[in-house]
Amino acid sequence: MLRKKMMTLALCITLLASVLTACGGGNNDKGQAASNGEASPDSSNSTDNPYKDPMTISLGFWDADAEIANIEKDPIAKQVLEKFNITLKPVNMTWDDYTQKIQMWAASGQLPDIFAIDAVGTQYQRKWVEQGVVKALPDLSKYPNLAKYFESPDIKGLGVDGKYYTVPRRMFPSVDWSALDRMVFYRWDLAQKAGITKEPETWEEFEAMLDAIVKSDPEGKHITGLTTTTTKMLGGFFWLYGNPVATSDGSGSDFKWIKEDGKFIPAVFSKNALPALKNMKNMYEKGLIDPDIALVKPAESYDNFVAGKAAALLSGGGFINLNSDMYEKRWKTAYPDKDIMESVKALKPLIGPDGERSHAIFKTYWSESYFSNKVDDKKMDRIMALYDYVLSPEGKDLLTYGIEGVDYKIENGQKVVIEKGSLNEKYPASRFLKNLAAYETSDSYNMDNPTIANEGIRKEAVDYIDWIQNNTKVPEYDIRLTYMSTPTKDKFTVLDHDDLLKIMLSKEPVESYWNSIVNDYKAKGLDKMIEEVNAKAKEQGIE
Amino acid sequence: MADSVTARTPKRSLRTRAPKQSLGKTILQYKYFYLMVLPVLIWYALFSYAPMYGVTLAFKSFNYSKGILGSPWIGLENFQTLLTDPDFRRAFWNTVIISLMKLVTHFPMPIILAIVLYEFSRTKMKRFFQTILTFPHFISWVVLSGIIINILSKDGIYNQIIMLFGGDPNSPLVDESAFRPVLYITHVWREIGWDSIIYLAALAGINPELFEAAEVDGANRFRRLLNIAWPGLKSTVAVLLILQVGQLLTQGSSFEQIFNLYSSPVYSVADTIDTYIYRTSFTIGSDFGYMTAVGVVKSIISLILLWAANSFAKKMGEEGLY
Repeated sequence: MLRKKMMTLALCITLLASVLTACGGGNNDKGQAASNGEASPDSSNSTDNPYKDPMTISLGFWDADAEIANIEKDPIAKQVLEKFNITLKPVNMTWDDYTQKIQMWAASGQLPDIFAIDAVGTQYQRKWVEQGVVKALPDLSKYPNLAKYFESPDIKGLGVDGKYYTVPRRMFPSVDWSALDRMVFYRWDLAQKAGITKEPETWEEFEAMLDAIVKSDPEGKHITGLTTTTTKMLGGFFWLYGNPVATSDGSGSDFKWIKEDGKFIPAVFSKNALPALKNMKNMYEKGLIDPDIALVKPAESYDNFVAGKAAALLSGGGFINLNSDMYEKRWKTAYPDKDIMESVKALKPLIGPDGERSHAIFKTYWSESYFSNKVDDKKMDRIMALYDYVLSPEGKDLLTYGIEGVDYKIENGQKVVIEKGSLNEKYPASRFLKNLAAYETSDSYNMDNPTIANEGIRKEAVDYIDWIQNNTKVPEYDIRLTYMSTPTKDKFTVLDHDDLLKIMLSKEPVESYWNSIVNDYKAKGLDKMIEEVNAKAKEQGIE
Repeated sequence: MADSVTARTPKRSLRTRAPKQSLGKTILQYKYFYLMVLPVLIWYALFSYAPMYGVTLAFKSFNYSKGILGSPWIGLENFQTLLTDPDFRRAFWNTVIISLMKLVTHFPMPIILAIVLYEFSRTKMKRFFQTILTFPHFISWVVLSGIIINILSKDGIYNQIIMLFGGDPNSPLVDESAFRPVLYITHVWREIGWDSIIYLAALAGINPELFEAAEVDGANRFRRLLNIAWPGLKSTVAVLLILQVGQLLTQGSSFEQIFNLYSSPVYSVADTIDTYIYRTSFTIGSDFGYMTAVGVVKSIISLILLWAANSFAKKMGEEGLY
């Protein structure tokens, strides 16, 4: 009997010990997760784990096949997805076809669960919302990082009847930072060879520099003046001559409004437009702009600039692209002994005819995540949790700097990089996972951040944005008017870069050609749109 | 038994086809022939006729959640909008001009080439030229446009020649007055060899003894061409003319060619209905219903042109398509 009691006691002790060990093990896991910089939504025991059911989420993203294949090679990305028990299924799209593909998928009810596109303000995006193609985000109070993300003014303004239907990919904390997204780089080495000794600060000085380079052609390569990676960029530079609010992202639907002669009009049609157009045409006629500018392709433009066949290059993506597209892919093999930042300079916003230094003005985000209406609430919750984590300080640190103690350490409150190799190569999917929620490119403009790998470029980048914030100011405009919906405005597009190109290459005088372009817009309902917007603005008390 | 076997032969069937015989019986009688036609009919039904329900979109306002069938009817509203759309009008006239000009500039070329090559018939040069001239047809417009852009760019051969003669460098691809000729020339360059094959086949079908007899009778090359080669070619030319006219608005204003070569400075002379539909549907995001209406108008015009060409061919004394 005693023996039987002893055995029961031993069994109970063993069971208790097992349970305690199991709990202890859970705590250890939690501790380890915390040391890896993870948040702790799964810290409760396995029965309470909200992510215990595996979930496959289809994702339409640029080059999704390759990006998602990289997750297998990336321990951090794997860890994040395992944490939420998510498997991503790629639905591939490319930079050439994404708009077409997504519209076809939307029309045929085949949208992936998550898809990326830059559609804010377009006619089709409005219809997606109205006609229930995309799912509204749930109450964000459960996702504190995401809720905080929606506090910035131009993201908050995206609400439709109190609901949000998209998570925009934020790049910058304020509009001032959009100076980085249309930048002109110029060949300072060739300018010096052409006898220029001072970096240009005014339009006249910039033109004089281009003129000197083109005329002297220091390397005998039939060098041209300013070129661009894509013609969509043109407005981002030429409107800066006294009409900076007219700059747009090239989508045709994000035009900004200013008050002129007592009423709101799109800034493109301001009386300041003509001097800007004349300045551009003048540059073209003087041979300071690439005569093939209408036919440019990104890769060729980078090649031409690096090869010394173009004196200046208008491009997007700021110093991040300078590092990747120009330095990494081209410069370091073409000129291994030449420091890129001694040969290539970033043009600081020029002093315009109004005495102001103006830069391009966009939204603080570019492209958005949308969620198919076929996604059920459970899946939506999992997606939101993933986005919330990626946007959290822990998630951002993990996906940007790697693992604490392995890739970086903290000294005096600053992150110090330990890993000397490229984090992009070590964790090839982390950047993609971060970009899925937000680009946050402004984070890269920090000497502690390894995204811009070349330290010379990084230093220049940090100095540049500091300079922008201290020396430029954003002109006044009301973003609510850009987002405003009226029957005519919803169908109205202003593809100003096409107009600029036409004027540049036309044989007609600028003024008469511009008038004919404005008349074309009038035929498409410009005046009606202006009336509608002014009436609605009055209704809403927008002065 | 013997009767039933002979009844299945086509020759017999033509002779014995009684007007009273019902269609069902005829089908039963020639069931194997009908069976052979069946896959083709299914293919047409599935891929050519079934999708035509999409044409109803021209009379609807497309709703993503309701699909093509469920979208609300709006009558002729899309067509009314179309009449007031200046961009459509521009695209329409560009399509007509480019298509007709391509027909005029390109259509005779393969015929002339085929006759010239036929004259080379006894030399190896024929095969050489035929290969060289057919080759561009197999390169896609995406690749060809890259080559053309390089040739016509600032540093390209074209401008180097212009500068050699003291002219100002200028790319015809961004010049409103030069863009269309570039389209015509490059189209001829790409298709002349391929299109000449069918004429060469027609010429090869002419009895060579006719040429030899004409030569003995003292007919010169031009005479032989006019009195022997041309009558042999005429019916092929008529059929191909009808086919080309039928496809004039689609293939005449080739989407791939223009899309890959054009840019905003030349939209006024280059934007055709196809490029207009594509650009506005996918970059601006116009209503699919409106864009379908544009497509329907294009199809109606094609139908009228096809009918006109067929009537013209019949007036020429040829058979026509129907």
